[in-house]
Amino acid sequence: MSSSLASECNEVKERYDSCFLKWYSEKFLPGKATKDECEPLFRQYKQCLEKALKERGIDDMLAAAREDNRENDAENMKPS
Amino acid sequence: MVKFYAASFSYDYSFPAVALAYFLRYPNPYSTHVLSTDVVERSFEPETGRLHTIRLHLKRSKIPPAVLKLLPKSILGASSNGTSTESYILEKSTVDIKEGWMETESRNLEWTGVLSVIEKQTYWRQSAGQGQGLASRSTTRRSDGQPDRTEVDSTVTLQSRLGEARRKRKRREAADRAAAVAAEETEEEIPKPSLWKTWSTGPVQRSIELIAFRRTEGSQPKAKEGMKVVLERLRQGGIVAVLDGMHKDHLESGRGSHGPWKEQLSQGTDTMVTIQHEGDGFLDQ
Repeated sequence: MSSSLASECNEVKERYDSCFLKWYSEKFLPGKATKDECEPLFRQYKQCLEKALKERGIDDMLAAAREDNRENDAENMKPS
Repeated sequence: MVKFYAASFSYDYSFPAVALAYFLRYPNPYSTHVLSTDVVERSFEPETGRLHTIRLHLKRSKIPPAVLKLLPKSILGASSNGTSTESYILEKSTVDIKEGWMETESRNLEWTGVLSVIEKQTYWRQSAGQGQGLASRSTTRRSDGQPDRTEVDSTVTLQSRLGEARRKRKRREAADRAAAVAAEETEEEIPKPSLWKTWSTGPVQRSIELIAFRRTEGSQPKAKEGMKVVLERLRQGGIVAVLDGMHKDHLESGRGSHGPWKEQLSQGTDTMVTIQHEGDGFLDQ
């Protein structure tokens, strides 16, 4: 799988990626998914990633971009 | 000023295969400039069966020399010593497996003042007897025995805002000065026009957008070829083959440009374009 931008998160990312790939291909894509079974692993991975993003000063840039995205979404979702 | 690139094409693979390949497309032999990929957010909606994902990619990219010439040194700053840079790309996607469609959007997070690139794709399951376009999204399955196909509409919006913030500030300063002058009723020497004032950025913005547009025309087919490599690996050996291929690509990306995958690829039926290790476009996938 592709690696994380933070090498310290690679291990937990790999565990999450494996879980996701299995769930996505065996449950989600065949239309049998009822819940995201990999959420606990994702939370662990996210915890590591968020720390790394903060340390690298990327968190603010990311938050701004996502805010911008949300505004665009709200705009696009308006009934025409 | 905005430049707009649009293309439509189809993959001869089922929608679930394309939806799987999408998350597995890095690394591939066409994307060795992608350094890392992280999942920033992911949520599954049980009611609709939709999966929302936000990923952050770090890519090695080159500022084209033609663009570099157009940029003032103050913008380039610390990175002016080289044209190679690393940049973050935010990718948002929604997969609806019940209705058989997927929407994706990628945008650059840095250098957006110089050039903002927003790339959007819509994928949808093509069923027998259906026309083109989003209206054809359907849950019906092919009944004519034809191989599965997935249609794609792709657009790239390129916009340069170079110098706009500066121009606005200049205008504001000029207005303030005029107000001050009027208030004091003193005669003041008219300030000499600065370089930025005389140097109209409009044509520069247009040039940057045009250069980026040409590079997009070159990089978009490569993004498609990269997806095809992953799809073919899936068809031949499932996820295991994709992961093996990824591992090889990963090793190759650290080496020269004549890896074994090149040989493997050249045996394919598709006409191969020149494979480049450095990202050629701004958002090429």
